[in-house]
Amino acid sequence: MLKLKYFIQQSWLLIVSSFCFGLLIAATNAALSPRIEQNKIDKLNRLAGALLPKAEHFVPLDTKIEIASLRGKKEKVQVYKAVTETGECVGWNFNAAGPGFQDKIELVIAVDKDFLKLAGFGVLASNETPGFGDQIKDGYFRNQFKAAPVGELKLAKTGDSAKIDSEIVAITGATVSSEAVVDIINNSLTQIKDQMHKQGLIGDDK
Amino acid sequence: MINKREAKAGLYKETLIAGLWRENPVFRLLLGMCPTLAVTAAVKPALTMGLSVIFVLLCSNIVVSLMRNFLKPHLRILMFTLTIATFVTIADLFLKAFVPRMSETLGPYVPLIIVNCIIICRSEACASKNLLGLSIIDAVGMGVGFTITLCALAGVRELLSTGKIFEVQLMPDAFVPWAAMSMPVGAFLTLGLLLGLVNAITGRKT
Repeated sequence: MLKLKYFIQQSWLLIVSSFCFGLLIAATNAALSPRIEQNKIDKLNRLAGALLPKAEHFVPLDTKIEIASLRGKKEKVQVYKAVTETGECVGWNFNAAGPGFQDKIELVIAVDKDFLKLAGFGVLASNETPGFGDQIKDGYFRNQFKAAPVGELKLAKTGDSAKIDSEIVAITGATVSSEAVVDIINNSLTQIKDQMHKQGLIGDDK
Repeated sequence: MINKREAKAGLYKETLIAGLWRENPVFRLLLGMCPTLAVTAAVKPALTMGLSVIFVLLCSNIVVSLMRNFLKPHLRILMFTLTIATFVTIADLFLKAFVPRMSETLGPYVPLIIVNCIIICRSEACASKNLLGLSIIDAVGMGVGFTITLCALAGVRELLSTGKIFEVQLMPDAFVPWAAMSMPVGAFLTLGLLLGLVNAITGRKT
């Protein structure tokens, strides 16, 4: 009994304040979480919408697709179906990540409705070297991916970056970052395309 | 009576100025170096970080000052951390809800305010020993001092790395941006030079 009294004497402030602080955080979270969720959806729509301008809505698929990441781990990817106002499918988009030069690079990747051509990619998060690696966000690098064939993209150190083909011209001074983007896109696209074929989501008659 | 009031006003003024200059957390106490180096690549994130620190410092100083008579010596650090963590979580949620892009730019450095030495230091050195009024003044002084320092550092770095501050071009067109200034090396260099400058002004030998 004495022990319990001692315990309460010592820790009552901690217990009471933990309860109050917990309540405070829960109330703030409850008040702000709809807004935070909306921000996430808006961001995805903004990025994916720029890549697939015809799309009005992005509908998540019911089941997530499992792929092996570049680090060899199994990862589940949420694929979104981009549909127009009339409900016609104009493409697909999903997020993919992989190791960059300094830190993880997270991309949103969009493809056409048959998974034949890339619609492009946007950078969700990256920490590449300013002035060099962070040029992966720039138009001249990203435009090479627009309408490039889905399949094995290759990285070239020199070439014509205006030509749209499976050859991507690397950013001068940032080969590692350029390679990281190409690897992330190749790795995720080929696996997702396979899985979606198997599930019958894309194919000749879809 | 008048003397007492004058002494109190003098003490408040002294406390306020101490945070701004004489005991400036970054330049004189060398506290909070992690955010000082990490988020000062541009003025906007530095300002956001500074304002978040002012909010957390103010709230934690108020709460700690109010509960100072109930604090058990061996549990006080636990209580400080609990209080600080609560307000940092709230600040983080607010940033995610209202300035999501800035929240992404600051990344893990907002949650890391929990272990920012300035805040624990002020709880221990000031709020847990003083009345509410003085604790508030101390929080304002230290918080504003920290913010001004961060912005000064970020101003130098952003100007030299992009030629702009707040998207306004300040450098002549012929200026070649120093990309290194937005990288960690620029942070260390600028901090070192500014510390040297402050030491030279105060005439202290370190």
